[in-house]
Amino acid sequence: MTSYTKEEVLLQARYLNLAFDGKWVLRNINFCIRDIVRPGIQQGQVVSLIGRSGIGKTQLFRILSGLQRPDSGTVEISQKPVVAPSAGEAGAVIAGSMRAVQAGDMGVIFQNYYQFKWRTVHQSLRLAARQNKSLWGVEEDAIKHYLDRFDLQDVLHLYPQQLSGGQQQRVSIIQQLLKGSDFLLLDEPFSGLDVCVLDKVVELLLQVSLSDERKTLIIVSHDIATAVAISDTVFILAKENGQAGSTIVKEIDLIERGLAWEKNVREQKAFADTIGEIKACL
Amino acid sequence: MFKPFENISKRNAGIMIAIQALTVLLCWQFSAKGLIPQPLTIGEALGHLLTTKLLLDNILVSLLLTLKALLYSVLITLFFAYLSVIPFFRPVAQFVVKCRYLTLTGLIFIFTLLTTDGSQLKLSLLVFGIVPFFTTSFLSVIVNIPRQELELCQTLGYGRWQSLYEVIIVGKADQVFEIVRQNFAIAWMMITMVEGLSMSEGGIGVLLIKYNKYNDLTNVLALQLVIFGLGLCFDYILGAMRKWLFPYTRF
Repeated sequence: MTSYTKEEVLLQARYLNLAFDGKWVLRNINFCIRDIVRPGIQQGQVVSLIGRSGIGKTQLFRILSGLQRPDSGTVEISQKPVVAPSAGEAGAVIAGSMRAVQAGDMGVIFQNYYQFKWRTVHQSLRLAARQNKSLWGVEEDAIKHYLDRFDLQDVLHLYPQQLSGGQQQRVSIIQQLLKGSDFLLLDEPFSGLDVCVLDKVVELLLQVSLSDERKTLIIVSHDIATAVAISDTVFILAKENGQAGSTIVKEIDLIERGLAWEKNVREQKAFADTIGEIKACL
Repeated sequence: MFKPFENISKRNAGIMIAIQALTVLLCWQFSAKGLIPQPLTIGEALGHLLTTKLLLDNILVSLLLTLKALLYSVLITLFFAYLSVIPFFRPVAQFVVKCRYLTLTGLIFIFTLLTTDGSQLKLSLLVFGIVPFFTTSFLSVIVNIPRQELELCQTLGYGRWQSLYEVIIVGKADQVFEIVRQNFAIAWMMITMVEGLSMSEGGIGVLLIKYNKYNDLTNVLALQLVIFGLGLCFDYILGAMRKWLFPYTRF
């Protein structure tokens, strides 16, 4: 198995509760995402939140992105890069380095890849790049870099309505990458995609995750197989023992099972076993 | 052609409209009696009107007044509409919307006292008449802004003022043209009324009042045709301008 350590806490959700009209939607949600460090490899994190349709995934997505406040509980993110603790201290939360998430902290890719319909791709990307202080003065270079990487050079002066679904998704991802957030939240990125496009999207997301050590992709999905194939950690959102409201019923460390960062992961027995295990939890 | 939701080609639609119009005109031509003029007589009157300087001068007066009123109305509407997203100013915008229930006739004397000449009186009455309708339309655009537009701003880290600029001022600029286009008819309707209040400057409304006074129905209907044509022209021009200025509205 590839050697790795889980170090600094990048995101921590504590005791999240959300109710609508007196009905619990989310209850007592707790989970934590840590920086996975692999010697000699720049490796971000890919985490999936899996749950059935209507279980409250989108509400959790909105809370994580800072667009919605929970009734109680907090979502905290690592404020800035800190000196990584030594191996012996791996897993220790560094006090004072966390702060509550706010709208704008996370890069958010909505399910329908929404873009301003009055802006061309170039204008949208430029606006996003301007939000990123580290890109001031080199916005155009950064845009060109991403467009080349994501094979979108030809759509620069088109409007979102003129793009295909796949192109819109890639533009949304580039936009949020240019904005410069360490976190990228994706709501159902695999839904409605045909097999060929699906493979491309998976490859694209893996590419993004490898772009920076701290880059963390949080995928909210009901597509179990694809989510498991791409992730290093899976959290299962489901109802527990007939109680109202969904909660995280299980965390699966796919690295421990040898299912992360592997190309032909779908062919492994452990993959099928994991899918079965997740299905049993839903 | 007679089935619900049936699609027909542009050519067929054109032929269909031409036949319908011709049928109406023929029925009118052969059924008109007494004081009601026949279409051919109206056509002749229109031809004669179009060759006179009188019509052109009066049209120009009315058009200038309408355009001035539209410009002021748009500026005032945008001012109130943009302010409406700030809770403190929302009641003011909502009051302006409710002002559409006021009749201009009851306010003429007040406006006469507030203005210095006939030209100002006409302009201010027109603006007062148009603004509530424009504001109503634009506020409904603002109220119906998809939540995702504002959320995208939030996820991009925009502040509230930056979101206002992006989503409402830039993002809804094309809607201003659409609102002007949709409400142009209101301005055009009001102009004939306000021009009657101060007739010295002329205008298409003054012409209409004069022809009406002498029961010259042929010229009244010929003028109505001119007004109708001008309305259609404006509708087309504003639509074309919107597409040209905001190319994304084509898709």
